[in-house]
Amino acid sequence: MASPRRHGGIEALPGGAGIRAWARRHAYSFLSSLGALTRQPIASAMTLIVLAVALTLPTALHVALENVRAVSQNWERLDTLSVFLDQEIEEEPARRLGSRLTLWEQIAAVDPISPEQGLADLTGQLALDNVAEELASALPDQPLPWVLEVTPEDTVVVSSLVSRLEREEGVSSVVVDLKWLERLDAMIAVLGQLIGLLAVLFAVGVAFIIANTIRMDIQNRREEIEVMALVGATPAFIRRPFLYTGLWYGLIGGTLAWLTVRFGLIALSGPVGELSGSYNADFQLRPPAIEIIVLLIAGSGLFGVLGSWLVVNQHLKRINP
Amino acid sequence: MIRFEHVAKRYPGGIQALSDVNFELANGELAFLTGHSGAGKSTLLRLIALLERPSRGQVLFDGRNVGKLARRHIPYLRRRVGIIFQDHRLLSDKKVFDNVALPLMIAGVSYREIKRRVRAALDKVGLLDKEGMYPPMLSGGQQQRVGIARAIIGKPPLLLADEPTGNLDPEMSAELMNYFLQLNELGVTILIASHDLDLIRRLGRRVLVLKDGSMVDDLPSRQVLAGDGHG
Repeated sequence: MASPRRHGGIEALPGGAGIRAWARRHAYSFLSSLGALTRQPIASAMTLIVLAVALTLPTALHVALENVRAVSQNWERLDTLSVFLDQEIEEEPARRLGSRLTLWEQIAAVDPISPEQGLADLTGQLALDNVAEELASALPDQPLPWVLEVTPEDTVVVSSLVSRLEREEGVSSVVVDLKWLERLDAMIAVLGQLIGLLAVLFAVGVAFIIANTIRMDIQNRREEIEVMALVGATPAFIRRPFLYTGLWYGLIGGTLAWLTVRFGLIALSGPVGELSGSYNADFQLRPPAIEIIVLLIAGSGLFGVLGSWLVVNQHLKRINP
Repeated sequence: MIRFEHVAKRYPGGIQALSDVNFELANGELAFLTGHSGAGKSTLLRLIALLERPSRGQVLFDGRNVGKLARRHIPYLRRRVGIIFQDHRLLSDKKVFDNVALPLMIAGVSYREIKRRVRAALDKVGLLDKEGMYPPMLSGGQQQRVGIARAIIGKPPLLLADEPTGNLDPEMSAELMNYFLQLNELGVTILIASHDLDLIRRLGRRVLVLKDGSMVDDLPSRQVLAGDGHG
């Protein structure tokens, strides 16, 4: 046994020092904290459910946002430019211009669309199949110009390509509908900030939910705490089981939140697959990144410890004058 | 071992529990502390175990002023003092064994050592067969003895008892006092707060008398033996 230490001139009991004594005290706190969770299973379960719900919300929002971001990146890549040619340009020069453009390094593909096809697409999109012929006959010859659908290479700066295309002979106008994508990006950025703020709020919420649960646990075990203090337990020893309990609440709450999000994604994957299939896209929901999962679980564990620390210290001051 | 020098304790709200108390308790001595309820007996014991700090004066434990002890050293002082309460202060959701083992658990003693010493302590108070029971299953006297086992398991040099016989019948009380006398024989300093005057008189030990927070009498053991009853 280690030689007795002295504390403020008071000799400690044998067993008070040494790594093994330290380990034994920690083992005692560890087991004692698990006991606290199982002693009142319904109350513990309710706290855990509240924590899981509170943590699921920001996590789910984050996952949703990440998925929207992924989709929008796909859209940007798929985006094409519509090059409207002058009205008087006929099929032959239009196709010649088209094949000339395919030689540009910045351009991946060119798809010429005849006025007839354009009209058919238009009426088709408007579900006006039966009126297409009527419309075609009612309108003057060639109501629409030839259009070249240009797909740029992935790395190309779209604006410079647009200005180059506009300088070409026979090009009337180039339509790029990127504005809404820019707005979407901006919106995603704003939502991202918002979710960050929400995550901070919920983390504070988690700390206080756990603090409140620990506070009730302390009240239930007031007698035990006082007796422990009476027979010479150090504040650290009394505090430790509660800190562990806070840690468990945080870790389990975080894990439950992660599982909820994971099961939510599995449940949504079917409908989302159908939806993306209807757009001829192959989009799959992305699960949260591993860093996010670690952040979620470790973070809520940390805030659990923090919350219980606040309450236990406040209570301990009253016992030791 | 214990010395009070002009000790006063005033609680918030202006209640004067003790005023100018002076006495000394030598190493290995056994003394009774008596007086009406509200005379300040419990407060005096609480000052020794540093459950309270004195408002004025000094409480010396082994020559050290405990009133000035830093908060972080308090637990180590309490490990040197065994305390027995009238209401036992046992943990009702823990077995007798675990109740008695608590001071050793806190000190980080190995489980084998704990087991050995708890058995020995329970054997000493005659409750070895009750180690697996919960305190509410025991009688008042048995619970009190569990409390004593817990107080002595850490082998503290000083034992404080606050009305240990308060809830016990006379026969049980006498038996309990015998335990204290035996412990005292082994060299433990003991201070017992009690108003069981018959019992105190019979034992003929030193008696400190408190009245309204003041030490009004200090009767050495012989004087009590001579039959100079006090109350």
